[in-house]
Amino acid sequence: MNTNGNIYTVVYSTIIVVLVAAILAFVSSALKPMQDANEKAETISQMLAAAGILDKDAPATNEQILDTYANEIKEAFVIDADGQKILDLSVARENIELRSDLKPQNKELLKKNAEYKPQVELPVYVFNNGSTVIPVYGAGLWGPVWGYVAFAQDLKTICGAYFDHGSETPGLGAKIKDDPAFRELFKGKVPNFDAEPAFAIVKEAKGDSEVDAITGATMTSKGLSAAIATWLNGYAPYFTANAAPAKNKCNCGKFCPCGESCECDCHCHPGQTQCECPGCACENCPTGSHKMEE
Amino acid sequence: MDVKIKETLLNPILKGNPITVLVLGICSSLAVTVELKGALVMAVSVIIVTGLANLILSILRNTIPNRVRIIVQLVVVALLVILVDQILKAFAYPVEKQLSVYIGLIITNCIVMGRIEAFALGNKPFASLLDGIGNGAGYGLILIIVAFFRELLGSGTLLGMRVIPESLYDAGYMNNGLVILPPMALILIGCIIWVQRSFQKDLQEK
Repeated sequence: MNTNGNIYTVVYSTIIVVLVAAILAFVSSALKPMQDANEKAETISQMLAAAGILDKDAPATNEQILDTYANEIKEAFVIDADGQKILDLSVARENIELRSDLKPQNKELLKKNAEYKPQVELPVYVFNNGSTVIPVYGAGLWGPVWGYVAFAQDLKTICGAYFDHGSETPGLGAKIKDDPAFRELFKGKVPNFDAEPAFAIVKEAKGDSEVDAITGATMTSKGLSAAIATWLNGYAPYFTANAAPAKNKCNCGKFCPCGESCECDCHCHPGQTQCECPGCACENCPTGSHKMEE
Repeated sequence: MDVKIKETLLNPILKGNPITVLVLGICSSLAVTVELKGALVMAVSVIIVTGLANLILSILRNTIPNRVRIIVQLVVVALLVILVDQILKAFAYPVEKQLSVYIGLIITNCIVMGRIEAFALGNKPFASLLDGIGNGAGYGLILIIVAFFRELLGSGTLLGMRVIPESLYDAGYMNNGLVILPPMALILIGCIIWVQRSFQKDLQEK
């Protein structure tokens, strides 16, 4: 048979392409439910890791992750740009609802003090251990970066974070996910919602609303920094409205230097310039008592 | 084992290694060798893809119209690569998440196309399958050697586990940032080629 004729070539190519397309369509639709379940479990496990409930390095099956989530979640809901709750998300074990379609939400829409408050749907996940988890999403160097930031009960202090990325450089930008030491940096930080940006990843971090960037991964660090700042802006109305009065703040306006919201009850006595914070139980205050700072 | 079969399978691993002798597939071997784990999964994926692509195209070899043969090859290779990716996504999600970029890279890997053109289109299916597996393994071997040194010297870890003791860091030892970047992979591959040619004299050009 002449395999070089025009008709043969066209017919042959058509058959091959149609056949391959059919195989791919079949495999894709057959595996889709499993892939979706994997993705959902992965999303949930990242939230649990941010909230400090799950160790991401320990292997867990999808079922275990869903069980843990159903047991540990207190409530999940969606707020709008003004921080008002607009609808509840189901947290039942059989029907866990998430809002993971974060990508379409334009970061312009989340700009600070924008005159036009757009229609955004921002998910909030509150866990039984008191932490509130919110998502962040942005552009890294090669692809998207995203993650979850957990706030302590006071809705001011970050108590955990977990980040992931599409295709950052292994060994450099990928450290936002792979290096536990980087995640640790976020613990105890307090975003400043009055400042612009509210939180930043910078070289030589100073203060409570900055953490150190990753060496050799400047663009990834900048991208993640912008992602966090953008999303914190979106949540700022909710956090400022619901934040608990600082327990680590003395009645004279000074702060406990450990940065954590300790349960101490301190008072300045008239005429004194320094106040003490007895009974502080946080791990940074081993003596349980220390001077408050401005 | 039949001498000829043995040769088809083992020849590409040392004497005709696709990376060090044919110098094919250099690009992806720079990209995936930062960490050993990625290199291992990439090696296995490439063995599967080169083996099956060679097998399928060798079966089809007498029916393929000559003028569109590259397109047919690409379609078959792309099909296999997407299947590997989809199956990993469904059954080994954590691995896929880490490697999805690289697995897509197999399509552009010169070894796959090179072996189809050079071997599968002119040989029987079984021999082609062995040639594909052999070349995939030869590629994987170099990948693993390079990744071993890059992860050890660049991150101080192997398969994610710390192997260089903390006391060495305290004494002033530092990870070499250059090793993580692609240029060092090229230099390492150059060293491997050097070592191999100093043992196999017949590879040396006069």
